[in-house]
Amino acid sequence: MINFKRISFIYFLILISMSVALINIFNLQFINQDQLRDKILKQNYETYYIPAPRGDIFDRNGNLLAGSELNSFLFMNLKKINDTNIKSYKEFIKFNFTEMQNSEIENLFKNPSVLVEVGPIEEKEYKFIKDIQNFQAFEIYQLPKRVYKYNELFSHVIGYIGSPNQQEQEEFSNSKYNFTVGKNGIERYYDNILSGSPGIITFQNGDIVDFTPPKKGKSINTSLDVNLQTVVRESLMEGILLANKNFDSNSTIQRGASIVQDISTGQIISIISIPDFNPNQFIEGISEYDYLTLNRSKAFNNYSIQGLYPPGSVFKIVAYWLALNENLYPEGAFLSSDKIDCQGNLSFGFNDGSKQVYKDWKLDGHGLVDLGSSIKQSCNVYFWDIALKIWRTFGESESESILQEYAKNLGFGNQTNIDLPFEKFGIVPDRQLFEEWKVSRPELVRPEGWLGGDLMNLIIGQGAITVTPIQVSNAYRSLIYGQVDKPYLVEEYFQSNPKNIDISSKSINLLLNDFGKVTNVGGTAYKAFSILGSQAEDTGGKTGTAQNPGDQNSTSWFVGIDSISNPKYIIVTVVEEGGSGSAVAAPITRRIIQYLKDIEMTPVEFGEITE
Amino acid sequence: MKPRKITLLGPEGTNLYIFFQFLSFNLISWVNLFLISKDFTFSISNIVFRQIIFSILGIVVFFIFTYIPIQNIKNLSGILMLSSTFLLIGVLFTEESLGAKRRYDLWLFDFQPSEFTKVVFVIYLAKIFTENSKSLFSFFLIGLNIVMIFLQPDLGTTFILLILFFLYFYISDAKLLNLILVLIISFFLFLGLLELNVVSQFQVDRITDFYSSSQDFSQSQARLQISLGGLTGQSTTDNVSVFVPVQTTDFIFSAFSKNFGFLGCLVLFILWFFFAIRIWILIKRSNLIFEKYLLSGFIILIFIQIFINVFTVLGLIPLTGDPFPLLSLGGSSIIAISSVFGIINRSFIENNLTI
Repeated sequence: MINFKRISFIYFLILISMSVALINIFNLQFINQDQLRDKILKQNYETYYIPAPRGDIFDRNGNLLAGSELNSFLFMNLKKINDTNIKSYKEFIKFNFTEMQNSEIENLFKNPSVLVEVGPIEEKEYKFIKDIQNFQAFEIYQLPKRVYKYNELFSHVIGYIGSPNQQEQEEFSNSKYNFTVGKNGIERYYDNILSGSPGIITFQNGDIVDFTPPKKGKSINTSLDVNLQTVVRESLMEGILLANKNFDSNSTIQRGASIVQDISTGQIISIISIPDFNPNQFIEGISEYDYLTLNRSKAFNNYSIQGLYPPGSVFKIVAYWLALNENLYPEGAFLSSDKIDCQGNLSFGFNDGSKQVYKDWKLDGHGLVDLGSSIKQSCNVYFWDIALKIWRTFGESESESILQEYAKNLGFGNQTNIDLPFEKFGIVPDRQLFEEWKVSRPELVRPEGWLGGDLMNLIIGQGAITVTPIQVSNAYRSLIYGQVDKPYLVEEYFQSNPKNIDISSKSINLLLNDFGKVTNVGGTAYKAFSILGSQAEDTGGKTGTAQNPGDQNSTSWFVGIDSISNPKYIIVTVVEEGGSGSAVAAPITRRIIQYLKDIEMTPVEFGEITE
Repeated sequence: MKPRKITLLGPEGTNLYIFFQFLSFNLISWVNLFLISKDFTFSISNIVFRQIIFSILGIVVFFIFTYIPIQNIKNLSGILMLSSTFLLIGVLFTEESLGAKRRYDLWLFDFQPSEFTKVVFVIYLAKIFTENSKSLFSFFLIGLNIVMIFLQPDLGTTFILLILFFLYFYISDAKLLNLILVLIISFFLFLGLLELNVVSQFQVDRITDFYSSSQDFSQSQARLQISLGGLTGQSTTDNVSVFVPVQTTDFIFSAFSKNFGFLGCLVLFILWFFFAIRIWILIKRSNLIFEKYLLSGFIILIFIQIFINVFTVLGLIPLTGDPFPLLSLGGSSIIAISSVFGIINRSFIENNLTI
């Protein structure tokens, strides 16, 4: 049964409560109004902010890459310091913080802020804790400290933190009162997620009247793998060392980058840039000398996304894809399996009657080659022939930039939009760009503008073209996967934006098979991979040796694929001025593939010099 | 119950009164939040914009519940209670924030399962009191929910659930002696829970200190802020302002009093009381015992929350951290109250009541 009278009684109580509330409000707003207003006008608030710990960063297996430690610090409320007690406070600080100089202690008391940080008390003894209770002005709060557990290993991808400048304070809302902001890498890209909201201490006439505790930022799980990252860094360092031994370059070879990307998801499993630095140095406070040394060696650049290099022969896959799709082969060839005779050079004439001779890197020629064996042996003549065909077929029509269109469809000439800041764009040159450069950068182009020779240079990844290692990795991944999408590190915030590309599964298989030939008998990377024995049969890749202007050594490239039958990973390695791709970048990649395939790892050994 | 035709505005017989009342409460909260933030940019970090998104979600929830027959709600009460239990157990495994584990972190907002529990609790109590099926298991479920909320720890909500539990006995025509027994049991249960030491000394102190010394800092600040309101709200030329912590949620009512003055408070209370009176008529006319219990429970739930919030802000009771229904900023609370309004609207339709 339900008692309606009792329900009505509850309604009566509601009415009573409302009246009580209204009487109270009336009291505040009319009876005591003036008195309370005086009180408001006398209120004198000051706020002090305590930075919040940043969220943790984990690798794919839950290993902590960047964490936050909390340490207790002694603070002093300057509003409670007066002429009578100042001496005892000074003596107490001098006695307990022996590392502080007299002038530093004096300055503490001159600080305009209401609260000042005196020093860490984590290692102080019990007596100290007991003593400070006699000093009214002392307060204890915890301050966070960023700890990068693996030091240099993730320096570029995770980045580091520092004090925010004016512009950063506006861009990253929490940075102003946390006094830190991500300066690079994931720390910057995901700053709004990682940074917590600072704690607020409210003072009224020197008394603490309210304390909102700081709130830790959110944690982030990345797709990185600590073990793989270690192997990749070791291999790249070994390779760079080896390159230095084998070349008499004018400058020492010291820069390189390496990326391992998962083909099915597009995730980045490992990403390394050399030279690197220890991000913990920024937390402890880096000396000016150390900073300048690092800065001079350009250690703060993340070459995997910011290094701009000519791609050399690794770019040939663009023409490979174009040839298959458009049925566009050298003069006289109509199928991908039709062979032409490579005699080591190519001479050709232009409309104006001039003749030119292009020399292949292998002067005695590759003999009879088809599309596949030109990838395997990295034959330039075959691709020059394709360029000539494009030049002659499309002339100066709208379709003359068909090669550039194919390159742009794979993401060259644009940011991949990986979740890292400051990514570079790269350049895919065409007639229009050369026209612009004639005005803006005339030293870079001939007065005639865009010519057939430029297209021939472009098709083998030379000339004005520049790419970043991440673009190369993502382009290879896209071709094998049949879809272009952003590479990424943090799945939780990844917004997929896939674009299908026009490539048949038959073409993908053909491409994979031809990659397989590169690391096997007769291929440019055969020597680098021969240590794998029969296991090399299921690996693949593409070498690249991109010439640089002047007396600089070539850029050494290798793009590896862990398995031809079941491709899982793309591995891109580039060594700046490393020389031949097959000699330096290929053996580095080989060692990474050994790890990925669970084969015993062997040292990086110098490979064959090819292009 | 005769089947209802679906019209554009809802099932046949929908009267717009409840819906307009619901909309007007939402509108008041938008204006109030705008007066606090003075910001009308379209971004997730803007509180007015957030509240409008929550209100729109709330309107959707309102209509969803308008389409669900009261009988179905009764049938679902057991399942709802079980899911509330699981959500409350699950929340104890989340990351701690501000000393408590209360929320699931969803993309747009934090979901607080205790808001969901309050509504389900009423539905479940209505059911077991209607069928007089107060089994041991049902008491176990009720107890478990209260304990789980207490463990978060959330003293305010624990207190609300205990009052609801007691008042259900009261309106079910229980004998005075039994009532006193329930009251004593609840009281000792509460003391026993306090002994568990889940609640930090800080929170216990807040209650005990309250009666020994003066009010909390934020409460005295809130009183100062209310005094600025006057008859019709603080004038735009008056630059005097007071710092009040958690202004947009727990202390929203002090900002409301400042913005709209004594008349604003009076109008807000009258609006809520008119709403209550209509439900009183509905309780009187309804033929279903379940419906009577359900509606009484909702009225109690809404008004306990209102009074706990208002009395906290006025400094009459200790600080508990309870939102003002449809006035405080907060997704979970708005969605929960929207479902209550939806169910009430449904029972108006089923009773063919047009007032």
